[in-house]
Amino acid sequence: MKTTIKTIPFYLLFLISIVFSINLQAQEKYERESRIKQKDVPTEALRFFDSISNINKIKWYKEEGFNKISFEAKFKLNRTKYSVEFDSLGNIEDIEIEVDLDDLKTQLKDTISTQLNRNCNSHKITKLQIQYTGNKADLWHQLKHQAINPNTIVHYELIVKCRQSKDVNLFEYLFSEIGKIVSVSKIVFKNSSHLEY
Amino acid sequence: MNTKSILLCCFIVFFQFLNTVQSQSAYQVGLLPGLNLNNKFKKGWSLNTKIESRQLLQRGVFKTSIDRRNQYVLTDLSFITAKKVGLNSRIAGGYLMRFEDGDIQHRFIQQFIVVQRKSGYRLAHRFFTDQTFSIVEDPQFRLRYRLTTEIPLNGESVDPKEFYIKMNNEYVNSLQSSAYDLEVRLIPLLGYDISESLKIETGLDYRVNSFIRNNTRHSFWMSLNLFLEID
Repeated sequence: MKTTIKTIPFYLLFLISIVFSINLQAQEKYERESRIKQKDVPTEALRFFDSISNINKIKWYKEEGFNKISFEAKFKLNRTKYSVEFDSLGNIEDIEIEVDLDDLKTQLKDTISTQLNRNCNSHKITKLQIQYTGNKADLWHQLKHQAINPNTIVHYELIVKCRQSKDVNLFEYLFSEIGKIVSVSKIVFKNSSHLEY
Repeated sequence: MNTKSILLCCFIVFFQFLNTVQSQSAYQVGLLPGLNLNNKFKKGWSLNTKIESRQLLQRGVFKTSIDRRNQYVLTDLSFITAKKVGLNSRIAGGYLMRFEDGDIQHRFIQQFIVVQRKSGYRLAHRFFTDQTFSIVEDPQFRLRYRLTTEIPLNGESVDPKEFYIKMNNEYVNSLQSSAYDLEVRLIPLLGYDISESLKIETGLDYRVNSFIRNNTRHSFWMSLNLFLEID
């Protein structure tokens, strides 16, 4: 089998044209998250942090889906990870705080664990966030003073590795304040074949 | 974090390159284009088909002779079947045919892969064994480990129409006719996610081997890879 340098570009061109022609037929899912600069953030969202002086560095992200654009501010406060989400106009939607499972009350932990045991043969909680929703003033007050505001609504967002029969998947669970399941969604991973082969 | 990682990669490659040019070692420079198709099936099964070629552009010994003759070297065609065995892990086995100098080498492959999703990057650990047989050479047995890091250049994960950095670092232990050798590979690549199912990567595929026998050989391949995902 003899191939010369002259045949290589044709060979490559052939491969590339096959790949692109297949790609044109494929349906594309449009959902992306990207880091953005502060100047690209809605003014209303920036103003939310104006008089909260104890936050050092905020990383801003833009999330684009089919029907929704949102902005997310991520930062650390007292060694705890915070995430504050805004809609496309800069109106606050929620505050999420990453915590350990042991930070929850025993009764709540048991309730959540019972629910997960029903859905999974075995499970492992890989991430837990407390999610606070409410009006702007209450959420702002809570963030500024680091104190739970009784007017805000509390949910718990869990990322759970769940084994069911022969398959294992990752799920995002949203629990209410008393440990009732509000929603469950399966997390679909991005392709990783370029990391494997 | 991203900028630091990129700078570290550049530093490692540059440092290695400086070491290389200062020694009297053999080297080769060439092109390494590849096409990678991954078909997904039900129940966690997948089939990976890969075709990869090598074209030699230059070879010689540093600071002495240079041979600039272009030369086709080989083409590899491989088929690997994989099964998801955990949330982030996959076990795989397959067969590779190497077309070189009019002969065909046969390679049997077994691998175990774990992909870790970290905040802002992904890591893949690949544990790999292969056995190569041909008429002209003694059988070769290899034990390999590769660490791959993927760092998005925008946001916390790689999305369509975004660039990323990929760094492969692999250690290839080989045994042939009772002779042991170690090859180290360092492959910094710049990738672009064209769509959910198509990626393109280019960069330097640097390999150094035979250094434990004091007969060091460096290989610099200009790599161009296309990855196509078919669900």
